[in-house]
Amino acid sequence: MATNPTEVPGYGCTIDELMVVTMSRMMGDDTRAFNGAVSFIPVCAYLLARRTHAPELVWAASSIAIDADPKRIPESTLSDALWDGASMLSNSPFDFWAMAQGARYNTFAFRGAQMDRYGNVNNTVIGPYDKPKVRLPGGGGMADLSCMIPRIYLWSTTHDPRTFVERLDFRSGIGWGDGGDHRERLGLPGGPQACVTNMCVFDFEPESKAMRLASLHPGVTVDDVRGATGFDVLVPGGEIPVTAQPDEEEIRLLREEVDPTGARRREFS
Amino acid sequence: MDKRRSLVEAASLVEDGATVAIGGLSMNGAPMALVREIVRRRARDLTVVAIVAGMPVDWLVAGGCVSKVVSGLISFEGLGLAPHFRAAVQRGEVEVEEYSEHTLICRLQAAAYGLPFMPTKAGLGTDMISMHPDTTRHEQDPSTGEHYIACTPLPVDVALVHAHSADSQGNIRVDPKLIWMDNEIVNAATTTVASVEEVLPHRDFVAEPHRTTYPRFMVDAVAVAPYGAYPTANFPRYSYHAQFFADYVQATRDPSAWAEFWQTRVVGPAEQGDLLDANGGPNTLIDIAREA
Repeated sequence: MATNPTEVPGYGCTIDELMVVTMSRMMGDDTRAFNGAVSFIPVCAYLLARRTHAPELVWAASSIAIDADPKRIPESTLSDALWDGASMLSNSPFDFWAMAQGARYNTFAFRGAQMDRYGNVNNTVIGPYDKPKVRLPGGGGMADLSCMIPRIYLWSTTHDPRTFVERLDFRSGIGWGDGGDHRERLGLPGGPQACVTNMCVFDFEPESKAMRLASLHPGVTVDDVRGATGFDVLVPGGEIPVTAQPDEEEIRLLREEVDPTGARRREFS
Repeated sequence: MDKRRSLVEAASLVEDGATVAIGGLSMNGAPMALVREIVRRRARDLTVVAIVAGMPVDWLVAGGCVSKVVSGLISFEGLGLAPHFRAAVQRGEVEVEEYSEHTLICRLQAAAYGLPFMPTKAGLGTDMISMHPDTTRHEQDPSTGEHYIACTPLPVDVALVHAHSADSQGNIRVDPKLIWMDNEIVNAATTTVASVEEVLPHRDFVAEPHRTTYPRFMVDAVAVAPYGAYPTANFPRYSYHAQFFADYVQATRDPSAWAEFWQTRVVGPAEQGDLLDANGGPNTLIDIAREA
């Protein structure tokens, strides 16, 4: 069940709110997004971006309800309560998959129980596939959409060495694959752009396509990130910027209009 | 031909050992009344195909009906993991053949169209493909060199779907036509069994034929089951019952609480209306009514 995420020192908001605002600012008027299961942080980010700097942003709630503007965000981001205000309800095979595989949609965000340095994600099993220690829900559309959609965003509310691992137990969704030009060799468009965690923001080093520290949330040090990450983090030279502070208006919109019931906190448990 | 059957008769079309595909999407539109009857008749050794689901698979696993799950995603989303599914897989009692959503859809389409495979770019470079190289083959187009995944047919014995209405001949309306992947399982299946909220006169279907989703010759049995998707949603009439999901997850934490929950709130109630009564009665109806 949802717990109260921690306060961000000096920012007048909590960590879930900083993550939403940070991801929101990565979106633009040309963003054409949709969402899958348990995607509270990106759903909030799309709705917030549309209310602030990206009014033309397209978002299909649950990959179904285009231009939805829900009054609240329910327990399931694949449910009908998210569809209010939509101008079209798509049915999957003919509308959604055609628009996804044809890259009419261009933005997809996903997370998993494990993530590696190239932004590949596991949401299938912990331990061996045939004798799992933990059976997870499964990859769902992750393997599909990570191959079809050029702008991939990753997030994690549990930045620790169990989540950010040297080697995945199972690759449910592809990020930059084995790194370098692996996606290009497979004929896949784009790739992961950023990963927003509860400690920092990573981007991807252009050649190796490995995760690289882009900004630190207030109060977090490089050593904290290194200690919480199971692989070697690329740290660029010079001072690492602090993740930008949300505006008061962004926080107000998030709390009062986008997600008044705090569904985003369901990702912190 | 009159296709109307009782829920018990309709569920009996699922024989032990069958491959059964279940419609719906996560919290939406699962054929729960049919699933409940399959559990109550103690079906065994089923292979369950569910693309994105939660409660129907968990009920079937809890009832001991399942030997294998072919799926993309099984969870209760923000309300938790599917507890019996998870535990049974971890104990080695149920096998999971996991696919991505789209490769599973492509396998069903290959079965429906009678083709050796359907191509897709989905899943390239993932373990989702490499773990079953016979059914999802990574190939390159001989003309262009492009990589693709060849998804082989997945034949289905019985498709179970829930819909809004039917006529007595088995014409079915999903209205609005939010069919997600239900269409793929109906097209891939040898037998289709539908539960519906209501039966309408055949003349209603003739008056508005554009609203028909599945024609009668694709449908083998229709069972009337008002609130037949409960505790999942039937858009736009009712939503999913969050309280049921929460109580269900809570009950699984204690074996004696679970035994009582299972008996009194899942398998015990006689009819679908009794099931709603057992789960809060009029309050349940208020909880699941969609706001206008």
